[in-house]
Amino acid sequence: METGLTTNLHLLTPEFALTALAFLVFTVDLFLPERSKEWLAGLAAASLLAVIAVALLMRPDQSAELYGGLMVVDGFGLFFKIFFCAIGLGIIALSVEYGRDRLQHRGEFYGLLLFSILGMNLLAMSRELLTAYISLELLSFSLYVLVAYGLREARSNEAGIKYIIIGVLSSAIMLYGLSNIYAALGTTYFTEIAADLAAPGDASPVLWVGIALLVVGLGFKLSAVPFHMWAPDAYEGAPLPVTAYLAIGSKAAAFALTLRLFAEAIVPAAARWDEWQLVIAVLAAITMLAGNLVALAQRNLKRLMAYSSIGHVGYALAGIAVLGSDFALAAKGVIFYLVVYAVTNLVVFAGITAYYNREGKDNIADLAGMADRQPFVAAAIAIGLFSLAGLPIFAGFTAKFYLFAAVADGGMLWLAGVAIFTSLVSLYYYLQVMRQMYIERPAHAEHNVAAHQEHAEHDNIHQHAAHDEPDPPIPPLQRPSILLTATMGIGLLVVVWLGIYPAPLLTLIETASAAILPLG
Amino acid sequence: MVPLLYFQLLGAALFGIGLYGALARRSAVLIILSIELMLNAVNINLIAAASYLNGIGRFAAFDGQIIAIFVITVAAAEVGLAFAIILRMYRNRGTINVDEINILKW
Amino acid sequence: MWFEQIVFWALAAVAIGGALGVVLVRDLFRAALLLATVFVAVGGFYVMMNAEFLAVVQILIYVGAIAVLFIFGIMLTRDVQRGNAPNRLQIPAGVISALLLAAMVFTAVTTDWTTLAGAGRENQAQIAQTQAVGIPDATELTRAGLSAEEVESVAGSGLADLLIGDFVLPFEAVSLLLLAAAIGGLALARGRGR
Repeated sequence: METGLTTNLHLLTPEFALTALAFLVFTVDLFLPERSKEWLAGLAAASLLAVIAVALLMRPDQSAELYGGLMVVDGFGLFFKIFFCAIGLGIIALSVEYGRDRLQHRGEFYGLLLFSILGMNLLAMSRELLTAYISLELLSFSLYVLVAYGLREARSNEAGIKYIIIGVLSSAIMLYGLSNIYAALGTTYFTEIAADLAAPGDASPVLWVGIALLVVGLGFKLSAVPFHMWAPDAYEGAPLPVTAYLAIGSKAAAFALTLRLFAEAIVPAAARWDEWQLVIAVLAAITMLAGNLVALAQRNLKRLMAYSSIGHVGYALAGIAVLGSDFALAAKGVIFYLVVYAVTNLVVFAGITAYYNREGKDNIADLAGMADRQPFVAAAIAIGLFSLAGLPIFAGFTAKFYLFAAVADGGMLWLAGVAIFTSLVSLYYYLQVMRQMYIERPAHAEHNVAAHQEHAEHDNIHQHAAHDEPDPPIPPLQRPSILLTATMGIGLLVVVWLGIYPAPLLTLIETASAAILPLG
Repeated sequence: MVPLLYFQLLGAALFGIGLYGALARRSAVLIILSIELMLNAVNINLIAAASYLNGIGRFAAFDGQIIAIFVITVAAAEVGLAFAIILRMYRNRGTINVDEINILKW
Repeated sequence: MWFEQIVFWALAAVAIGGALGVVLVRDLFRAALLLATVFVAVGGFYVMMNAEFLAVVQILIYVGAIAVLFIFGIMLTRDVQRGNAPNRLQIPAGVISALLLAAMVFTAVTTDWTTLAGAGRENQAQIAQTQAVGIPDATELTRAGLSAEEVESVAGSGLADLLIGDFVLPFEAVSLLLLAAAIGGLALARGRGR
């Protein structure tokens, strides 16, 4: 045990570096004047790049336990580490322009963002319930603050309260589950839980209550139906980059924990207890159905994305449900889906942020005529939504194809059927957004045209200067910031690339999921 | 000595009462307060189990107590942070009642 | 034995009664004070379970810090006048909690605690036979087949060893978590400074 504490510490270099750099951000913030706070975004981004570089130097095919098995450095953890840092980079890109106009205390914003990524990294590596819980709380605490960060918006306050209350409640439920598991088994290590589950003899009822409460707590964190009620409110109220972070980052982190927990604690005993598959499958089906059907009724873009993300959680959960039959295939499907979902959602949220930065509105009806004003942003959102709906040549299709194939292969044909049906439903509401952007006219357009014509008759000489008018008939192009354009551009390239040629990423994911492959 | 079962039942009772309070109260402060009851139930469970499991298994002697220490620490931080958010909302809105939290809203 | 039973039931009555008070009383301020009472009673249980250190921590942190924080919170938000009103979800909340409570009581009662924590492990049989809570003394442990070293580790300062030994990583993570809470709380409470 002693050696485990001291010899392998270099394996945690990415985490130590991230901690130190987060402190650096907090410290530098104290000495920067308000107008040059943008440098902090650069510093935070550079930190994440440095962490990615360090992580890339590590061997993904080796695994080493640290701290007496509380934590393991392996290919799975490394993959998710790099993934989370990349998500962080995207969120920082989204935050710069938004933060300049709408956020105060930006140093704390970026520092807490780094802390939450640290929490996610630890989460992906932990293989013991207490460590996982603490990492999850490190992530959640940062998120509670970030959600409530919109200083001028009461909406953000309220979202913060709802989010922290539901978050704390779900942790309490999860902890009660933990305490029951501990009471029944005397251990909180994933592998030892699996050993006890697989041991002959009936598992005690207390253990089942413990595992059930643990899954309920995870359900809250994943926002699986019926534990999703916080998500739409939190998404709507949070500042836009934080909404994106909730949708992408916290979901990915919760799934990293779910994958490792199921792979190491539950799947090894699956031969004896295969009822859990049905439970997760039903949860997945309800989540897909409720998320996508309720999304049809949404008027606010952020709420729509909240319900859409709930639907996507359902798809990924369907993959979790079949982990027991062909683990490698299902895990590959889930991880690939998470990556594609993250990239695609990043594109969509970058588009929404670009729009919001210019117009300050986030209702779907406000998008009317947007394609004329911000053609590139509209195209990016449209392609992102097509990819989320799962149309071919975009990454969403490939991801859904692999995932649903794994689900059908695992003997849950009905679940794959539900998934395909709800994907079609989702296409409908995504198309509604596109209809607004490309076909609908803004409500005040006619008035503007009339006003302009009147004006032109009055003053023929200055007709050529029409584009200088405050309300011209064809609104001027509104350019998104360079950073957002770059984010959308890179994201779109990745979306198309993964849609056409996913093989290299899939190879990486196979290495990652091989690290948590259950024995036997 | 008192059977372990009694402590488990006690923990369950406190947890149930806390859950009721968390779901049925209106004031955000009261909801957080009820959640503290639930966390205390967790700690009773953990420490009872640790005491019962004493000397068995890997570090079973004190594992449960260690977990309980962490739970207490996190709970304290949670309360502090929750109050920061609640006070801000009170300053902006003049109320901390969460009637608008419509838990069953679709 | 007899004395412990009495103490247990007395503390249980205080804890459960106080907890019911917390969620039912209309006056918020009284609810917070009742919560402090529950915390003290729970600390008493910790002593009964031979977790004296935890009992001290419970009093210091829960009673000394959290309960006081609650009282500050209630006074700062002047919520006392509004009272501890229930929301519309009272009945579903009661049903959900009652069902969960029933499930937990049922499982706790049906679980055979003598075989628990035991499947596949050695040495537990003799201790488990007592089915009771409390750290067994050295002779009992030796009788149960533990080596002298193990007996010492059980009786010794295992808590500290674990906290900054095997559990040092969560310990460090918790320190970051506290820092995040402090910075976040400040950033939120500071309002529109500068």
